[in-house]
Amino acid sequence: MNNLLIGIFLFFIGGIASIFVKENYKAVLFLIFSSIAQIFILPVIFAILKSGGQFESALLFSEPIGTAFIRLDSLAAAFSLIISIGALLASVYSIEYMKMYPGKKSELSGYYFFLGLMVTSMLLVVIVQNAILFLIVWELMSVSSFFLVNFENGKDEVRKAGIYYFIAMQIGAAFLITSFGWAAAVSGSADFITFKNMLGSSDYTVLLFFLFFIGFGIKAGFVPLHTWLPKAHPAAPTGVSALMSGVMIKMGIYGILRIILLTGTPDYKLSYAVFLISLLTGIFGVVNAIAQHDIKKLLAYHSVENIGIIGMGIGLGMLGLTYNNLSLAILGFLGAILHVFNHFTFKSLLFFGSGVVYSKYHTRNTEKLGGLLKYIPLTSYMFLLGSLAISGLPLFNGFISEFAIYLGMAKGFTVNNPALNITMLTGFSGLALIGVMAVLCFTKVFGICFLGTPRTEYEDKSTKEPFLFILPMIILSSFVLFIGLLPALVMPFLLQIVKQFIPGDISFEFENITQIYSSLGYIYIILIGLFGFFFLLRILLLRKREVSVFKTWDCGYQTDNSRMQYTASSFARPFLQLVGELVPLKIKFKKDRILFPANASLESQTQDYSERFLIQPFIGYLDKTLNRFTWIQSGKLQQYITYGLIFLILLIIWILGAES
Amino acid sequence: MIKIITLITVLISPFFFIGIINKTKAVWAGRKGASIFQPYYDFYKLLKKGVVISRTTSLIFRITPSVNIASVIFAILVIPLPFSNSVISFQGDIVLFSYILGFSKFMTVLAALDTGSSFEGMGASREVTFSTIVEPAFFIIIGSLALLTNQVSFTSIFTALSLSASYTILIKILFVISLFIMLLVEGSRVPVDDPNTHLELTMIHEVMILDYSGPDLAFILYASVLKMVMITILIVNLLIPASLALVPGILLFVLLISLSFISVGLVESLIARSRMSHVPQFIFLMTALSLTAFAVIIFFLNGGF
Repeated sequence: MNNLLIGIFLFFIGGIASIFVKENYKAVLFLIFSSIAQIFILPVIFAILKSGGQFESALLFSEPIGTAFIRLDSLAAAFSLIISIGALLASVYSIEYMKMYPGKKSELSGYYFFLGLMVTSMLLVVIVQNAILFLIVWELMSVSSFFLVNFENGKDEVRKAGIYYFIAMQIGAAFLITSFGWAAAVSGSADFITFKNMLGSSDYTVLLFFLFFIGFGIKAGFVPLHTWLPKAHPAAPTGVSALMSGVMIKMGIYGILRIILLTGTPDYKLSYAVFLISLLTGIFGVVNAIAQHDIKKLLAYHSVENIGIIGMGIGLGMLGLTYNNLSLAILGFLGAILHVFNHFTFKSLLFFGSGVVYSKYHTRNTEKLGGLLKYIPLTSYMFLLGSLAISGLPLFNGFISEFAIYLGMAKGFTVNNPALNITMLTGFSGLALIGVMAVLCFTKVFGICFLGTPRTEYEDKSTKEPFLFILPMIILSSFVLFIGLLPALVMPFLLQIVKQFIPGDISFEFENITQIYSSLGYIYIILIGLFGFFFLLRILLLRKREVSVFKTWDCGYQTDNSRMQYTASSFARPFLQLVGELVPLKIKFKKDRILFPANASLESQTQDYSERFLIQPFIGYLDKTLNRFTWIQSGKLQQYITYGLIFLILLIIWILGAES
Repeated sequence: MIKIITLITVLISPFFFIGIINKTKAVWAGRKGASIFQPYYDFYKLLKKGVVISRTTSLIFRITPSVNIASVIFAILVIPLPFSNSVISFQGDIVLFSYILGFSKFMTVLAALDTGSSFEGMGASREVTFSTIVEPAFFIIIGSLALLTNQVSFTSIFTALSLSASYTILIKILFVISLFIMLLVEGSRVPVDDPNTHLELTMIHEVMILDYSGPDLAFILYASVLKMVMITILIVNLLIPASLALVPGILLFVLLISLSFISVGLVESLIARSRMSHVPQFIFLMTALSLTAFAVIIFFLNGGF
């Protein structure tokens, strides 16, 4: 346990240390510290994941915290793993990426300081088991990430995004303070263990769980609470976007899972609600992603989608507990937790890829890119790998976790309950819809940015891909392929995590599931064999034949046609017409109103449905209602003194009343 | 043994059925038409040729034809063939089946965008847009079948289905119609797409493969007709009773598959191709029918009247 704490604080110390060195050494120093931290953290985590069980130690604080327990159980270990590895990869990536900002010494100091603080606080979030301490580290995490989002604070849009993010986090924190406060008040202690009896049996469980879900859901990005994601992710430097999207939003998921652990068998209303909200989140996220042409904004919406998929797994697990169906519960939680890890791998990979593009071509706009595969082949192929994985296609890790969720839903068909059956079928075709829309979205991104020919002339025509950009992506790609091709090997670790959620012995059911996954591994061999056979056949057929290279067929049009290529907007257009008002389109059209108009411009912008029709009207309403009370805070001192006087008088009346 | 023979028969049969479609259309139009085996000659001719490759393209363009064939053959391996179980069967193969086909679609779309041609981008965009309607509907079908039979693999679903209660005939009919619509969409036939059109602007699938030639084109054509055969096998599996003897069974099987392809030919002769903006409505019919069937299943599973 001490080793773990040393490791955790090494990130923070690394952040502080890098303040005092020269600009060029900051990144390297931080990397050294975060590498040493791995040596302390990883063995502890793997010990837990291998054998189950937990490490526990008590820390003595002064009041009001008192004795606080920190525990590393297998759930916490799983999340610590992605935080720790994510931080290491982000710090490697930052060395090269932050070279984009030469001379900004104080900003860079702040960057590494807050990066260290954020990683340390995230690691503390998953091990701290005391409500007050939890809220403190939770806030530290939000605040440090706020400063990281604000790195380029000279830009107007970044500042706006940062403040939006900050407010969203504070609203989430308000819900968490309320719910933790309530839980602690009822159970009489701030230790999570004492919540267990209370949450399991209290009459308020449903309402309390709902409050927790909103508080953690804002962090995770469940619809309609997701609106900060597409703003904050593009604003942050890419290393941080990857860490936020791949790791930090999962802290919301961690919170929800922790509460489920404490709740025990959930109420059926909650199980259905979590499942259906998640399904909605998944569909909404990917539909909006298709409408985006800013790569990072698009990836942010895909985080919303994947949180939806993870949530579907959690919902399934809860339904399994509610209906006391072991296989359903196992597959649900297994899918959710594996997808947390998988999403971390491919989403960080995709963000890193988009960062390479941004640092080389200084644009995130897909419409301005094209043909990048010829310039940055390694990045492109790894981006392709990430795209295939995030679309949930077989051979890659995204499929493995979605497959568990599909199997779980199919298990739900065997329960004789029409409500559950209908929900499962909705989920079944809903997940298929999410998958095929992700295919649309990523064929769009990859096809438009990396294939074809450049749509604008690039200033940087070199094919140089810095090693420190490629290295973290190679590591992530190997995770993607490893879990994708050999899923059976990670199952023992997942067993340790999943069995925490389910009372009773699950080893028999789990063995069956492992069996399915190991057969999947063999089946892939057939698939790859078939592919190899036909590719060889093609090579053999074309041997000694004429293979001529010519231009793309263009109906005989003879000049350069790179600007005639299909654009991202036109690619997405037929689909967006189908979904209609779900993605509101704002079109600005300007034209000279003269006889022979020469200047015209058209600008189209998509809006977020829930922001436009839920959040904004709600804020407007709040603004209007609360405005009526502005007279309370008039700024006149005499009025405030009157309040004090009125308060005192009321107090006297109350005391007198109580005495009589 | 019978498994291997049927598999090989299925793998060499597809062009024959394309011949049937063309013959049907010719006869309907009062022409004599080409031989049913003409598509085989065309295929052989393509295989003998060299290729022309666009200089814009990358490795993705070159591997896609092989990926296409491999995925469709793999998908055929998991569905039950007539009078034998599927070659590969495991829990959840219904999901892997669709996702493998999705994989090949992903690569086809990328290969189209790889050429940087505006036509091919157009076709790619349409292809994936229509898939967003077809896929969920197909999952409603397999999900309903899984619910009805409590099974999660094709072989056990169809085994259980052939023994199931009498009301399932209604469900089967609805599913057959929806799968027939899927056949028209995935096989890019009228009214969704017109394989004979000569105008790039109106094509869907054909336009995506404009830049392919020689063996590559042969591979892609083979994969797409094999996919049509695969969907018809699913349709026939729904209809055929399990209790038939081998010889009448095989005859009925071949008859039903040929009948499906004759129907495709008849649809093509009888109705015009839809306007592009009306195609989604047609595909949504598949969703509607599958949902109706699902409602019927829920109704009967919970006691009926």
